[in-house]
Amino acid sequence: MKRHGFVNWIKHILSTIDTSHREQAAGLTEFEARELENIFVLLLMGSFTGIPAPPSFIAAELLPHLQHEIKVLKFRAENASDSLAEMAGLLGID
Amino acid sequence: MKVLFFTGKGGVGKSTLSAATAWQLSQTGYCVLAVSFDPAHNLGDIFGVKLTHKKKKFTKNLYLQEIDLETAASEYVRTNVSLLTEVYGYLQSFNMDKYFKVLRFSPGIEEYAALTALEKILKNEVSKYDYLVIDTPPTGLTLRMLALPRITLTWVDQLIRLRKEILNKRYTIHNLKGKYEPRGVQLAYKEEDDPVIRKLFQLREKYSEVNDILQGEKNSVAIVFNPDYLSLRESERLIKGLKDLQFPLRVAFNNKLTDENNEIALEVEAKLLSAGCPKRIERVPLIPHKGISGYMIEHNLTASFL
Repeated sequence: MKRHGFVNWIKHILSTIDTSHREQAAGLTEFEARELENIFVLLLMGSFTGIPAPPSFIAAELLPHLQHEIKVLKFRAENASDSLAEMAGLLGID
Repeated sequence: MKVLFFTGKGGVGKSTLSAATAWQLSQTGYCVLAVSFDPAHNLGDIFGVKLTHKKKKFTKNLYLQEIDLETAASEYVRTNVSLLTEVYGYLQSFNMDKYFKVLRFSPGIEEYAALTALEKILKNEVSKYDYLVIDTPPTGLTLRMLALPRITLTWVDQLIRLRKEILNKRYTIHNLKGKYEPRGVQLAYKEEDDPVIRKLFQLREKYSEVNDILQGEKNSVAIVFNPDYLSLRESERLIKGLKDLQFPLRVAFNNKLTDENNEIALEVEAKLLSAGCPKRIERVPLIPHKGISGYMIEHNLTASFL
């Protein structure tokens, strides 16, 4: 019984280490994904920000499906000055 | 259906030659639709009938139509506004959708409108006619209109590439964490689940079809010029523009030839040939107007298109 508890404890530790590593690895990828989503919507709605835009009907056609990306755009706009700090946090730089 | 575009500088006679070609083809027994995209319409004047945005039967196998760019632009805006009002449907109840009407004055709307009108004809009339003869608007608008499908495809391809990269990242995150739900929203990570990439694929398919028709075997672009230097310069620019867009420039018409301008006509031809003009140059003499209808030209124009 005791031995069983010990194995479970080891399993728990290993799973925590695994989760922590996965979270760390995913964090950077999540940051990249968010940046790409931001670029995607920026490119698509260039006229909104004043950069050359694709033919306008492409944006109009995709608009109903871009809820998440537009939220990301808003989030990035609000935290634009803080993205260096976010990068530093992700890379573990103090 | 074969598509014939008549291009060239304003006043060189592309309307007359396109009308005469349409007439001659219909006289040979082919079913022909002649469409004018030129805002300064004179297809109706040439045939002596009043034409509108809707096609009109002239003889049993010749139909005529003048695309009204104003109407086409309004139609284009209406389609786009209906897309927007689907998303912002509640605006209709406040009668605020009328503010979208200002889109009619957006820069570049004419090209979009003209292309949409062309797409509509290519899609709906393809099975009904043997020939579609198109009298094009001034050079600048023609080139921009014909370039649009390719520009759209370039953009759509870039967006698809970027979207695939986003989906790849999401897939990686999903694999690492078991699920990817930022702020409680489940995001698609497979192509088949993502409405954005599906819509982009649909757009690519639609514009590839238009582009394939425009660059394909069944499309012929004819360039009309006159024996003078102004016409020569614009034709050189047009040839370069069409080449950049990979459009099949198949025949050139040296129009309004007389005994007096024969020398300069040969000089213009030689210069255009070195600029990449097609080898096939048809020489059309100046037609003295003696009360004959503008579309009845003795010179056979159809040989290059059969």
